[in-house]
Amino acid sequence: MQPSLSNPLRIGLRQERVISPQSLIIFGASGDLTHRKLIPALFELFLQRRLPSEFAIIGCARRPWTDDVFKEKMKSKLSDKISDNPKEWEIFSNYLFYEPVDLQERKQVKKLASRLSLIDKKQATHGNKTFYLSVSPNYYASGCKALKEAGLIDDPKKSRIVIEKPFGRDYSSARKLNKIVQSCADESQIFRIDHYLGKETVQNILVLRFANTIFEPIWNRNYISNIQITSSETVGVEDRAGYYESSGALRDMLQNHLTQMLAVTAMEPPGKFDPEAIRNEKAKVLQAAKLADEINPWQCCVRGQYGKGGDITSPLNGYRDENGVNPNSTTETYIAAKVFIDNWRWQGVPFYLRTGKRLPKRLGEIVLTFKDVPVHLFESTIINPAPNQLILRIQPNEGATFKFEVKSPGSGMRSRPVQMDFSYDESFGEPSDEGYVRLLADSMLGDPTLFTRNDEVEAAWKLYTPLIELMENTPWKLPTYKYESGTWGPPEADQLLSRDNIFWRRP
Amino acid sequence: MKPQLTLQTPLELPPEEISNYLKQLWISENEYTSGANTFSLIVWQPAWLEQLLVRNKLINGPITGNLSQEIIGIAKKLILENKLPLSTSLNSQELIKVLHKTASDDKVEDLRGQFFESSISTLNPRRLITLAPTYDKRTKLQTFVSAYCPLGDSSINQPICGDLIVIRGDAESISSKGSDIIENLSMDDLPTWLWWNSSLDDSPSIFDKFSKNARRFIIDTANGQEKRCLDVLMKILNSKKTVNDLNWVRLKSWRESVAMIFDPPSRREILNHISEVDIDIAGNHIIQALFLIAWISDKLDWEILSSEKKSDFVEIEFSRKNGEKIKAIINSIPLGNTSIYPGQVIGLRLISKISEDPKKNTCIILGAESAECMRLEAGGMANMHLIESVVPNYYSSSESNVSKLLASSRGNTSPLFENSIHISSKIFNTIYG
Repeated sequence: MQPSLSNPLRIGLRQERVISPQSLIIFGASGDLTHRKLIPALFELFLQRRLPSEFAIIGCARRPWTDDVFKEKMKSKLSDKISDNPKEWEIFSNYLFYEPVDLQERKQVKKLASRLSLIDKKQATHGNKTFYLSVSPNYYASGCKALKEAGLIDDPKKSRIVIEKPFGRDYSSARKLNKIVQSCADESQIFRIDHYLGKETVQNILVLRFANTIFEPIWNRNYISNIQITSSETVGVEDRAGYYESSGALRDMLQNHLTQMLAVTAMEPPGKFDPEAIRNEKAKVLQAAKLADEINPWQCCVRGQYGKGGDITSPLNGYRDENGVNPNSTTETYIAAKVFIDNWRWQGVPFYLRTGKRLPKRLGEIVLTFKDVPVHLFESTIINPAPNQLILRIQPNEGATFKFEVKSPGSGMRSRPVQMDFSYDESFGEPSDEGYVRLLADSMLGDPTLFTRNDEVEAAWKLYTPLIELMENTPWKLPTYKYESGTWGPPEADQLLSRDNIFWRRP
Repeated sequence: MKPQLTLQTPLELPPEEISNYLKQLWISENEYTSGANTFSLIVWQPAWLEQLLVRNKLINGPITGNLSQEIIGIAKKLILENKLPLSTSLNSQELIKVLHKTASDDKVEDLRGQFFESSISTLNPRRLITLAPTYDKRTKLQTFVSAYCPLGDSSINQPICGDLIVIRGDAESISSKGSDIIENLSMDDLPTWLWWNSSLDDSPSIFDKFSKNARRFIIDTANGQEKRCLDVLMKILNSKKTVNDLNWVRLKSWRESVAMIFDPPSRREILNHISEVDIDIAGNHIIQALFLIAWISDKLDWEILSSEKKSDFVEIEFSRKNGEKIKAIINSIPLGNTSIYPGQVIGLRLISKISEDPKKNTCIILGAESAECMRLEAGGMANMHLIESVVPNYYSSSESNVSKLLASSRGNTSPLFENSIHISSKIFNTIYG
């Protein structure tokens, strides 16, 4: 029998889709993402027996490593995960290969093509290839061109490209990049990854909305007063200062992860559960989204930057004191924005999005606040009856909570709020897979449902264009307010809501 | 889903010309058309009941091979009118015998192999070969060929095409010439499934003949004598071939529902104290119930100690690793209505005893209907902590189940099913020797 942690009756019951024989080629294999996320995710898929025996992982980077060095490096970085499954790792490591490649060097890419043919024969991968570009975004365009020139992505049925975020720096650069990538490969071959969509709880929003009859009739402007989407981190910039200085919270989180959550929350029901039907609806809702004040965008957005914090025993650096950060940096580590969606369902309902580093809690949540009852018949134990709220917890403690009013015990007729909880842990007791496990599997299965299409990416950039232009042309109009590390952002962010007589939920 | 008819009128060709004709057909088609790179499906489709109903003029032709609601309705009525046991299967020899007496010799239009459910056609089978034995025992072998390119709603420009071959004749002629024709039409690079769309008691020699070359089988162990069904399953497993069973597929909602009960970690402990299991089935065909108890015992690591047939139930005793005993009973429940699939599970009760105080013990009841749940509540179950759930047995056509299997199959026998077959067979052999 399995350890008591798992439900023994559940074992073997889930029929996962089978990944066909193929090679996965990771560019940027010496980078962080490869050993932190990609190889662990692939090892997890192996442990779940979802990888075919005809499979190969080819790490590619400029470093002159060999197959054995690559295997050793991965082994040492993943030692925690391997220690429970040493035998499985030995088998899994047979899938690992390495080829030194500089994507800018035509000769080297050609050499890679020859090596891939040899590996294809050795591993019987039937010529199927998935290329994962885990490289600097500056190399996405040239990387795709190099693959095209080497004839590696000519067959749309046998080759795919996975591209990490950020896809572009703004609307025009995203459009330009899309054009280049699409000139190299068919859109059906391109998988733009946003790991938030790989999260079980984000996918659960679709199921919650479209597999239940009770939510959809009230999921609109008639019943919902506002929606708050929060993604907060307790950590600071850590060792990503180089990237973060040129990116900031808008490009790093708001434009992609938070906007994808917005799309999934606000999209219309698709006609069927089909990748294109879902992506059509997501694209449509993003195209209908706009900043609450496009003429004076500073009125609907607040930027912040964390300052010092902590206590005497564990003081925390301010952003400008972090290694690699310009001491006069105005890069935002916090951003809050108010957005409207111009369609029949959402007209007039504000969506408040916020994300930041060095906030008090690490969490992701979507809070739907319903309209107040038309008449208050009952006195409340607190000042006013609290409006109903549906809270979808993306992380941690994944689940959902519904808040509603009940009669407070006693002789009077006073109401008080209570909540109904659904927790993944309590209901299923098994940890859900990391987003990368799901997304890597889907990309190798050729299922684009959870990947962003070109028009979605462009619409998401277009939505924030007035803010980006403001930040670049007249930054003093959108200043970065200081906030103390470990607080919920600058007080100005509270005012963004209090003007509408709304408050951020304190999770 | 509604059955689809091929767009092309099937062309009758001598068997020896089919292979060449199909090769020419694919070459002569325009460059944008290609054969689907999917799978081949060979279907043994006697549709004896439908053939006899048409010959008795109880339904209008043509014969399609699809078990329609009309056929099911008339067959159920016939079972009642002829005072056959309510557990009589629609594929049973008893029902066939009744219809045989009054069957006419009139010619009837036969479209078997041309009608197939869209759930199967959307999977784009590359080659669909239908073996259509006629009730008339003097029918010469005829072979028909047609090609089809289903128009999907996806944006794929290139139609994915397949071909349909019908081999029609009396059972003897199909038996003597059919396997050679099939061998000539085999596509080595594609997986081929043999779907025995009939009772396993039907034409065993033909089944054995076609089995020799087949590597992947789809059968339905709800149809056929229990011993024959388990022997067929074991024979396929022992020959290292792949088998899928529609009777196991129909058990899926029960397996899922039982597992779902124990998903919350707070309920896991209940599993370690199960002392009694009751399975109710409609009729007296015990294979599906055996699969269910075999799956539970396999997952909970129980060992079989004994099994015995008593007057109207089967009793099996298991032991846990710690030596505790578990008693399992399979009850045949007479229902007031005929069931399409004999022996379907209609109720399951698990009793978990942690304490002498009944309130601390748990009784889990799953029933196909509320009435079944209430029946299983009898005997003081209400004193325990009750967890109940209704698991409706929705009717799903064999074609629809086959399409689900083909869409999800990994090409090997499910390990869960394989273990269940071994345990079921062991239990059955202990009872009947």
